[in-house]
Amino acid sequence: MSDLDDFKATYFDECSELLLDLEEQFAAIEAGDRSADRLNAVFRAIHSIKGGAGAFGFTELVAFAHAYETLLDYVRDGRIELSEPVTVLCIRANDLVADFVNAAKAGTSLGATYGADERKQFDALTSGEVVPKDDNESGEPMDDFDIDFTPVMVELPSAAPQPEPVEDAFVHVPLAVEKGHWEIRFAPHRELYARANDPLLLFRELANLGELTVVAKLNEIPPLSDFEPFGVYCIWELTLVSPDATVNDIAEVFEFVEGNCDLSIVQLARSTPAEPSLADLAAVVAVPSAAAVDDEPALSFADLADAVKKEAPPRAVAPAPAVAKPIETAPAPVLAAVDEPEDRRTGPEDRRGAGVQSIRVDLDKVDRVVNMVGELVITQSMLTQQMDDTLRARYQELVRGLEVLAQTTRGLQDAVMAIRAQPVKSVFSRMPRLVRELAAKTSKKIRLETIGEATEIDKTVIEQLSDPLTHMIRNSADHGIESPEKRIAAGKPEIGTIRLSAEQAGGNILIAVEDDGGGINRERVLEVARGKGIVAQDVTPTDEQIDQLIFAPGFSTAAEVSDISGRGVGMDVVLSNIKKIGGSVHVKSRTGQGTRMTLRLPLTLAVLDVMLVKVGPSPYVVPLSSIVETIQCSRADFGRTPSGSQVLRVRGEYVQVVDLADRFQLATDVELANRFVVLCEAEGGTKVALVVDDIIGQQQVVIKSLEENFESIEGIAGGTILGDGNVALIVDVQGLRAPSLHKNAA
Amino acid sequence: MDNLAYKDDYGNGSQVNAQNTLQLIAFSIGEQTYGVEITTVREIRAWNGATPLPNTRDYVRGVINLRGTIVPIFDLRARFGEGPTSPTKNHVVVVMSVGDKWVGILVDAVSDILTVSKDEIHNVPEGNSIDTELLNGIVTHDSRMVGLIDLHAVVSGAKLDG
Repeated sequence: MSDLDDFKATYFDECSELLLDLEEQFAAIEAGDRSADRLNAVFRAIHSIKGGAGAFGFTELVAFAHAYETLLDYVRDGRIELSEPVTVLCIRANDLVADFVNAAKAGTSLGATYGADERKQFDALTSGEVVPKDDNESGEPMDDFDIDFTPVMVELPSAAPQPEPVEDAFVHVPLAVEKGHWEIRFAPHRELYARANDPLLLFRELANLGELTVVAKLNEIPPLSDFEPFGVYCIWELTLVSPDATVNDIAEVFEFVEGNCDLSIVQLARSTPAEPSLADLAAVVAVPSAAAVDDEPALSFADLADAVKKEAPPRAVAPAPAVAKPIETAPAPVLAAVDEPEDRRTGPEDRRGAGVQSIRVDLDKVDRVVNMVGELVITQSMLTQQMDDTLRARYQELVRGLEVLAQTTRGLQDAVMAIRAQPVKSVFSRMPRLVRELAAKTSKKIRLETIGEATEIDKTVIEQLSDPLTHMIRNSADHGIESPEKRIAAGKPEIGTIRLSAEQAGGNILIAVEDDGGGINRERVLEVARGKGIVAQDVTPTDEQIDQLIFAPGFSTAAEVSDISGRGVGMDVVLSNIKKIGGSVHVKSRTGQGTRMTLRLPLTLAVLDVMLVKVGPSPYVVPLSSIVETIQCSRADFGRTPSGSQVLRVRGEYVQVVDLADRFQLATDVELANRFVVLCEAEGGTKVALVVDDIIGQQQVVIKSLEENFESIEGIAGGTILGDGNVALIVDVQGLRAPSLHKNAA
Repeated sequence: MDNLAYKDDYGNGSQVNAQNTLQLIAFSIGEQTYGVEITTVREIRAWNGATPLPNTRDYVRGVINLRGTIVPIFDLRARFGEGPTSPTKNHVVVVMSVGDKWVGILVDAVSDILTVSKDEIHNVPEGNSIDTELLNGIVTHDSRMVGLIDLHAVVSGAKLDG
């Protein structure tokens, strides 16, 4: 029941990885890297997607992937040049494959016509230049065999990347071959059975193609003493007489056991009336390698080629008694042969063996570990706090043990966090497609640059990044980058650039979306904001404040609503999503030169470096990342504005003051002079001064949600559990600043 | 086993019985007894302080750490408008699940587990809005009146607006 769902889930996971890989490969190909490795990787990815889709019966996906794969095959062979239009078509095809995968995941259908245009283009390309390169019918293909099929390749079927055999050289069978006589040798590996494949089903499928004769070769079966219960000793030789079948039809039957068997498909040549001469027979004897073909586990094409050169020994491939006719008439063997290309076997499992070892783990399981490690850290710090000087003097071993424990828990914590960390590439790589589509829709020319894709960040943060980045890039493409004409008129390059970058800065990750467009039209923004009542008529905001207005809910400057943007949802989504994960957004714009939006994100969501403070009877924590400095109140320079609100002058700057005791309605008996100012930086570089009763110290805390069992509270970003088991609340610096700003603005 | 099943078929077994009755955890606030359905109760623990939450109604005592999760505590006395409880170590927090959330309510003491028949649940008399809002019904047990707490009502609207 749920097993199949599990498999499906795994398949879709793999698909998304493969699709990301595709994007990456094509990014390199577009950049000019035309190496065979790239194409092979692309081919593998599409093939794996198709394979799984076939197993689950996603027919639309299979059909499209198959057509695409055919094109790729031609490209790989060099029969179609990977020219610019072909690359563009391939990239489009990748997008479509992604759509088909998503449709399959959602269980919906995209309709029969979806992707039909692209398939027509594939067909046009593939049928346009099928033959030119390998239409040699005169026996020369044998030379190709020597080049393409090295004995090494056949004998080590599981070896890593091999030169690609030119599969289609045999598909377009020379005319001299008799139609419809096929010799198939099928030697399953143990894995084939382990994956619950049944040769019988394959043979039945083959039997549907024509008249099938099956002979099991049992001479590999060892004496009982050497017999392994799970050993695979049986090899089959099949003869298929089918006038219409092509090598592809036959190969397709074996499609899902590829890589788990040695398979050769050979078409027998037209019968020649001549009797085999004595010389021919002598040749058989003289060529042991050819004669030995029967008994070798894998059919060696080198041997075949040899055999052919040596004037066609009759037994080269047609050994089975059932095939009476070819033997009688001494066929000139093997004009067409197919071996499955090595590359096709390389599913994800195989790659795993070769490259990075990894396992797929449910995120919930990781989170459970993260939570427990969090508790462990708390317990450890609690234990450490219990140690006073007398205990220290008396139990030195205990002290040492605790020190080691502290180190180990710290290491454990880092290690667990590293598990959750992922390169931002996984979200960055979704953006090229978006930019392509936006460029097409807006008729602009846009190039996307990505920098720092390897920067690692917590998985939860990454998941929350996709939407904001999409909106930001949409905004840049729609509002930022100008039309080509305008750009040329402004003396800029015709192609606009959007630069997406990620870098680590201390405990934060900075992600920036930068465009070289026209910048924010501040007059227009202010006009609209006033019109919508977001800014009062008599208030004159600074340029920076105007820029931040684009994040206000419902704000849009677009004259008309397009399907890209203009509905006024979007940038406020960016702000709220980023705030939700404890980050901030900053926008900087230069008229005529471009806009840069920066997201400042915490490295991890689970653990926060904080300063522990006291307000009234309660402990509160302030995220260390937002703290600029702390000042004793007796040394602070307070002032009052006419409205009566307090301000703090610090280094020539006036900063809004928030007394946490007032704001949180907590009674405090600490004199002002003995209290402290914690100067914090909120979004966009604006500062706010928090007044607290006491500063207790710094520590790491595990963030706990208040909303899980309660609801969110203004000014509080969450809770955490201190070493003594009590709950401390996390101060939401941004949230504290916001309300009084509204008061000023309104 | 067979015997039991036989009895159930005839309507005398415990299973059928259970459908007509309700098991309650009964607790007291002052002289008054209240109850909640036993299946909603997760844990009963002694009062050990709570971290106050700013900008919430006075009946929200704060939050506690329940093995790593943060659970809000509601002062039931204050919720009934009878002023805040001055809790001691002898006061009790009953942790319950309400929907998908866990909440604790602060009461004076847990007294009993009661089994009452569903037929005996009376409607709350109209009149006092606090009663009708916070109680699902009233049952009589040993000639005592037991108010059935409507947990959803108790925990809603805890946040101060503005």
